[in-house]
Amino acid sequence: MSAHHSDPLQNPEVQQGSTLRFATAFLASVLFMGAALLVSQHKLPFLEFAEILVGLTFLTLAAQATLFFGLDISRAQIWKSVSLILTVPLFIISVGLTVWAFSSLYSRTMLPANEVPSMSMPMDSNATMSMPAQQTLLQ
Amino acid sequence: MQVDLQDPWSPLFGRLTLDSIPYDNPIIVGTFLGAATIGLIVVAAVLYYKKLPYLWREWLTTVDHKKIGVMYIILGLVMLFRGFVDGLMMRTQQVMAVGPDSPGVLGAQHGFLPPFHFDQVYSAHGTIMLIFAATPIMAGLGNIIVPLQIGARDMAYPYLNAVSLWLTTAGAALIMLSLFVGEFSNAAWVGLMPLAELPYNPGVGVDYWMWAIQLSSLGTTFNAINIIATIVKMRAPGMTWFRMPVFTWVNLSTSIIGLTAFPVLGVALSLLTADRYLGTDFFTVGHGGNFMLYIDLFWIWGHPEVYFLILPPFGIFSEIVPTFSEKPLFGYLTMVAASFAIAGIGWSVWAHHFFTMGMGPDLNGYFSSATMLVGIPTGVKIFNWLFTMYRGRITFTTPMLWAVMGIFLLLFGGFTGMMLSAPAINYTVHDSVFVIAHFHCMVLVVAVGAFAAVAYWWPKVFGFKLDERNGQFFFWTFTLASIVVFVPMFGLGLEGETRRLDYVFNPQWRPLLIAEEVGIVLYCISVFYFLKMIYVSLRDRVPAGDDAWGTGRTLEWMTHTPVPFYNFAVTPQINALDELAWRRENGLDKVKPQTFVPIHMPSNTAVPVIIGAMAMALGFGMIWRIWWMAGAALLAIVVAVIARSFDKNQGYILTAEEIAKFESKTELASMIAEQPKRTPLDHVEAH
Ligand code: HEM
Ligand SMILES: [Cu+2]
Repeated sequence: MSAHHSDPLQNPEVQQGSTLRFATAFLASVLFMGAALLVSQHKLPFLEFAEILVGLTFLTLAAQATLFFGLDISRAQIWKSVSLILTVPLFIISVGLTVWAFSSLYSRTMLPANEVPSMSMPMDSNATMSMPAQQTLLQ
Repeated sequence: MQVDLQDPWSPLFGRLTLDSIPYDNPIIVGTFLGAATIGLIVVAAVLYYKKLPYLWREWLTTVDHKKIGVMYIILGLVMLFRGFVDGLMMRTQQVMAVGPDSPGVLGAQHGFLPPFHFDQVYSAHGTIMLIFAATPIMAGLGNIIVPLQIGARDMAYPYLNAVSLWLTTAGAALIMLSLFVGEFSNAAWVGLMPLAELPYNPGVGVDYWMWAIQLSSLGTTFNAINIIATIVKMRAPGMTWFRMPVFTWVNLSTSIIGLTAFPVLGVALSLLTADRYLGTDFFTVGHGGNFMLYIDLFWIWGHPEVYFLILPPFGIFSEIVPTFSEKPLFGYLTMVAASFAIAGIGWSVWAHHFFTMGMGPDLNGYFSSATMLVGIPTGVKIFNWLFTMYRGRITFTTPMLWAVMGIFLLLFGGFTGMMLSAPAINYTVHDSVFVIAHFHCMVLVVAVGAFAAVAYWWPKVFGFKLDERNGQFFFWTFTLASIVVFVPMFGLGLEGETRRLDYVFNPQWRPLLIAEEVGIVLYCISVFYFLKMIYVSLRDRVPAGDDAWGTGRTLEWMTHTPVPFYNFAVTPQINALDELAWRRENGLDKVKPQTFVPIHMPSNTAVPVIIGAMAMALGFGMIWRIWWMAGAALLAIVVAVIARSFDKNQGYILTAEEIAKFESKTELASMIAEQPKRTPLDHVEAH
């Protein structure tokens, strides 16, 4: 049983938190999110845009991990650090395989617009071409 | 940024109008009257016997892991029944609506359910069975048994435990409410995309589905945290990792899946929420959205979820088979390793649910072989159970019968799963009822595991055994029903019947559909025997001993039967794997502690029930877009949580004399007995 269960406020994890850090973490998250919104308003090449987004995500995560959760590499934090590290493979598997699966999905399942002669609708929206295009590809 | 709906909307009632109540549908009105009558009878009985204070003090506000577990299981069984009725309706619709000449009643062209209602029925069936029946029953069993198996007083976080229960209940209540107010989703338990998006589904059905699983998945995540913390931190002295019973091990692995996978569902649903409420384009087509991304996220959670469900039954079988074979479990270490291998593999196979998306041969190949890998640890488990039985002194009590049946079902489900995991086969049977038959074999393992566990541990919790005779009737009718429903379903799937049909176009399928209907009637008979079993057992109450089956091996059988509310009078010292078997061999199993030390117990609290009720109000407000209601409910939750952190109630102390008294007369201390009021402490020293 934990050492301090007489007063919740004496709990080491509660003791660790501070209003200032809480507020900073919150502010940082909002800032990075705002930055992402700003970036998304600009026309950027896709890859660059994705890189910036991923970068901002990591900054947010870092801000939250250090400021909200007070994560560091001290012995007292070992359980938190270990569990965080253990989730990394899951991120790699799920995000990695998803990126792989979706990176070529469009070219696999959609035909270039000029190869769909029968369609009379304008080609600027993906929605209008998904079904017939997919069927042609499967044949 | 909020999406404009064409429906009428008022600030006070949101989208809710009198038309939302389907009073013109005879089935729903009948159900409502039935439910209302039963509800009134229960309320009247509680009031008449003046049990309200008892109910409030001993159950609704409890933080005792056993009572919470019992409530989880009751919730699960009620929802299991609701889901069963949905299944009955689907089977009946399909046997009625075959071919163009089939008649229609109650406003349906064919059968008795118009497509719009049929779609709601199958969506509700899947959601309820997986999330609100199987999950709560397994969570409840873990709650009751894990602390007992590791010699703990309670879960690590008793209060959080109650919060989990009431959040799950809030989700279940929302689903039940959708029957009478508004409608339920028609986009299947997975949330078919883009069908679940606002333009295709402008009603409140999808919102009901979304908020119900969102709330309950929060509860499940908390419960997973609780189980992990309990197992890591609360083991009795001497209970080293490799002395832990396998049921405890699988609860650890399953909770790790729960903790890691459920957040993905939360994210997927939140993005869908943003699409439906704020008009974002995550999963719509156009503006760069991609609805396959939802399917991807859903199954990143969805596949781990099915292993989250199947692992606890593996643990249950691993307890029951040794007890009724009178031998230690064969291959304990491999059993533990296999549980974690299954959990790990479970995380990396999700795309086998959409091989047909067009990922290309490389990825389909990867996901196919990864899926097939899971057969190895599963096979290890099956062989371990078989070798445990081999040359054992087997008694076929009901729990053992269920366990053996579970092993058979696991084989059927596993082999057909292997077929499905080959993309070439999958392309031909994907979205056919072959898949339905596959996963029903698997989820039946969960159901069967639940029945096995309830029969096995019932005496521990309530002090008397379930009636064996009716239990056997229940078992055999259920088994027969499962065969008669699902064997024809494999056939229909191979013949090309697609899933989710409200109308079956091919009259040649009628014979097999009739067979399935016969099977569902057999299930109805098994429900009767289940109820009779409970009734007869409650009536007769043949007392059971501490080690109810006489051959128990693990720690929970060392507690009194029924378990006192404080579990162990003295925290046990653990000497071996299968502690009770070890003590029996060494002649120590009858030794009782003589001196007692005071026990520090947590006090009850009403905060979790309040949080649950407010969570339901929050969901209801969001579903009907009654913003003031949602906002007020959220505020109330925040206030309740903050208020609780200022609560100086530190639980109470059970004195040594009291324990001695309870130990000599355990009925007094039984978890269902009414306990005397206690004065809470306002300060405790660390201990
Ligand atoms: C030997 C292990 C297993 C294998 C190889 C396997 C394989 C598969 C495959 C390939 C599919 C996709 C079929 C399709 O949609 O085309 C599938 C569907 C499914 N499986 Fe399994 N499975 C296994 C174990 C389980 C277990 C243990 C459960 C649950 C307890 C389960 C529940 C399901 C469910 C619910 C679906 C269908 C979901 C839906 O589309 O609604 N499976 N399985
Ligand atoms: Cu799967």
